Amino acid sequence: MIPLELYILLASTMFTIGLYGLVTQKNGVKLMMCIELLLNSANINLVAFSAYQPNVNGQVFALFSIALAAAEAGVGFAILIALYRLYGTIDLDNIKAMRW
Amino acid sequence: MYADYAYLIVALPVLAFLLCLFLGWHLPRGGGFITVLATFGALIVSLGIFSETYPDKIIHQSMPWFADFNVGILIDPLALVMLLMVTFVVTLIHIYGNGYMNGDPGAARYFAEAALFSASMLGLVYADNLLQLFIFWELVGLCSYLLIGFWYRKPSAAAAAKKAFLTTRVGDVLFLAGIILLYNNLAGLNLALKPGEYLLQFPVIYAHLTQIAPDQLTLIALGLLGGAIGKSGQFPLHVWLPDAMEGPTTVSAMIHAATMVTAGVYLVARMFPLFYAAPYGLTAVAAVGAFTALFAATMGLTSFDIKRVLAFSTVSQLGFMMAGLGVGAAVGTFAVGVSIFHLIGHSFFKALLFLCAGSVIHAVNTNDMREMGGVGKYMKWTMYTMLIGSLSLAGFPLFTGFFSKDEIIVIAYEYGTLINFLPYIFLVLAAILTAIYTFRMWFSVFTGKERSDYAKHESPWVMLGPLVILAVFALGFGIAAQEDFYSYLDSNFEHYDLDFAELGVIGGHVLEGEHGAPAAEGEQGAAAAKGAAGEGEAGGEEGPGEPWYIQILPIIVAIGGILTAALFYWDKVKKFDPSQVTGEKDPIRKMLLKGYYQHEIMTGWFAETVVYGTALICNTIDIKLVDGWLNWLSAWVMGFAQHVRKVQTGIIQNYVTALVLGVVVLVVVITLAMEVGLV
Repeated sequence: MIPLELYILLASTMFTIGLYGLVTQKNGVKLMMCIELLLNSANINLVAFSAYQPNVNGQVFALFSIALAAAEAGVGFAILIALYRLYGTIDLDNIKAMRW
Repeated sequence: MYADYAYLIVALPVLAFLLCLFLGWHLPRGGGFITVLATFGALIVSLGIFSETYPDKIIHQSMPWFADFNVGILIDPLALVMLLMVTFVVTLIHIYGNGYMNGDPGAARYFAEAALFSASMLGLVYADNLLQLFIFWELVGLCSYLLIGFWYRKPSAAAAAKKAFLTTRVGDVLFLAGIILLYNNLAGLNLALKPGEYLLQFPVIYAHLTQIAPDQLTLIALGLLGGAIGKSGQFPLHVWLPDAMEGPTTVSAMIHAATMVTAGVYLVARMFPLFYAAPYGLTAVAAVGAFTALFAATMGLTSFDIKRVLAFSTVSQLGFMMAGLGVGAAVGTFAVGVSIFHLIGHSFFKALLFLCAGSVIHAVNTNDMREMGGVGKYMKWTMYTMLIGSLSLAGFPLFTGFFSKDEIIVIAYEYGTLINFLPYIFLVLAAILTAIYTFRMWFSVFTGKERSDYAKHESPWVMLGPLVILAVFALGFGIAAQEDFYSYLDSNFEHYDLDFAELGVIGGHVLEGEHGAPAAEGEQGAAAAKGAAGEGEAGGEEGPGEPWYIQILPIIVAIGGILTAALFYWDKVKKFDPSQVTGEKDPIRKMLLKGYYQHEIMTGWFAETVVYGTALICNTIDIKLVDGWLNWLSAWVMGFAQHVRKVQTGIIQNYVTALVLGVVVLVVVITLAMEVGLV
């Protein structure tokens, strides 16, 4: 059995990578990917804990979370497509119509 | 039964106002016949009420409005004679207006506004409380503004309308202050009012006058007098009246005879008990009236504009009425009868004179008497009706004006024997001047040779008819109605809970009335007895008290004035060419023509230096200090925000960074706190 610490280590690595990408990247699609990383790191944690503490609550929760992530990705990409049509770019630094 | 329809007296003209306003454009002659019918209907109702109530009934209807106030109708003798006069004169003026305004593109507007004017005046007259009276009072002011500025494309007419509105507004503010003061005083008494009684109702005011402090009464009286001064064109607020000639002549006739300027006199008459009870109240009225009578008459002497002569004569005659009320300090309520009698008589002959002037102007197309002359050859009817009006105004024996003005001068004499001769002297001088300027006008217009090329035709019968009817009244009203009128009006205040003797004690008129008259002997004692008779037994008869020369003096004054005018201005006596007179050389004539430089002083000096200077200072303080402080504060806030808002970059990465850093800081702080053992 793989010790729980490794799962948590994997999850926090993924989370940190996602957070890093979120802060540094300007491209909208990359940002979406980073958000997926964040969500899925949480999912890994949920499934791992669920396996160690024998009930399936965590796994069910992870399923919900995946469905939510799918919906979020759908909305997010739709917004990105709309932005692209409007500005011809998805570089978020260039999208500043509502900025000072 | 007519009393049930009393509301129609106002409702009919209001209806005519609405009809003319919205449908007048589609009706022949601007719907003028509607206005005529409406005021005629009001006249019928007034006559019906008169036949039902004469001689000793009053009508009082009232319903609640809001809080302490009500709306109501109070028709007592004072209101009723005013109603009859206003409806009658206004009906005739509207008939005349149908001819005069024929063809004017604004005729519908004219008739709508004229109907509203009549309605406001009628509402003012039979209002049963001061608040309602004030509302109609303001409506009258509004209508005068609209009608004086009827030809609003003419800059002088627009300016005159503005002047009339603003000048009367000065008085109105004082009037409102008086009302508020009176209300406060009455409310402070905590009266136990019966159902249907309200604080500002006239009967309630009359009944509780004795309970108000005398100094408060004086203040209230001065406030109300201020309103009356503004409305009735008394010195120093008379300046708007001559300028009000810019409106159509029918409007001048309405303003001067029936609907507007009489409101001030009516207000003082209506509140006579209050003025009587207020120390110095009637003194102020007498002073203002007597001074104005003489002051305006001198200006009437020199004016070349036929309508301005009439306007100054109106101011002067209103001064007579005011003085007539003011000398009521000596003769009590008898003064109300005398003064209102002059008001009614004056409205007949002044309406007549204005309509005659309108008839002349209609033909000659100018107001300048220097360009008229010889008009009498072509306008016989106008000439003779105007002669009747002029004789009446001059106070020629047996004409209406003779009876009314004579009586005012006589009671002023009684006032003189008891208190002060100044009003009497002023009024006699004014009466001489009245006769002179009236006939100066008549002679220069109708006699002599034609001084310009004007249309030589008589006016149509729709205009002459009212002239003839008014001439009959100017001729016969005085002799026919005087005795009954005095006794009827004298009974006016008997309908209320009033004791003039008691009021007189408050007002300091202890010398007269039933309690009075032990003061003097000889002539003075006799005059004082007459004063007592005037109040006591609902007077009217010529007291035997005055010496014969006092009785005869007004006749001498009138005839002497007319002869003086004839001497100077009648071409049969003296060849005189008014067209040569410009008034530039003679300093006195120039001063009178300029109205004692009042315009120069008021507008030129007072307005432009004092008022404008004060306004500049206030403006500077307002901009630099009040606004400046606020502007500095808001500018500082704006500048600060300019810096702070840069934080909101709109770049998501920055937000996320801040978020992460925040969480990190939070975690570090909590961990440290746990290490130390705080949590």
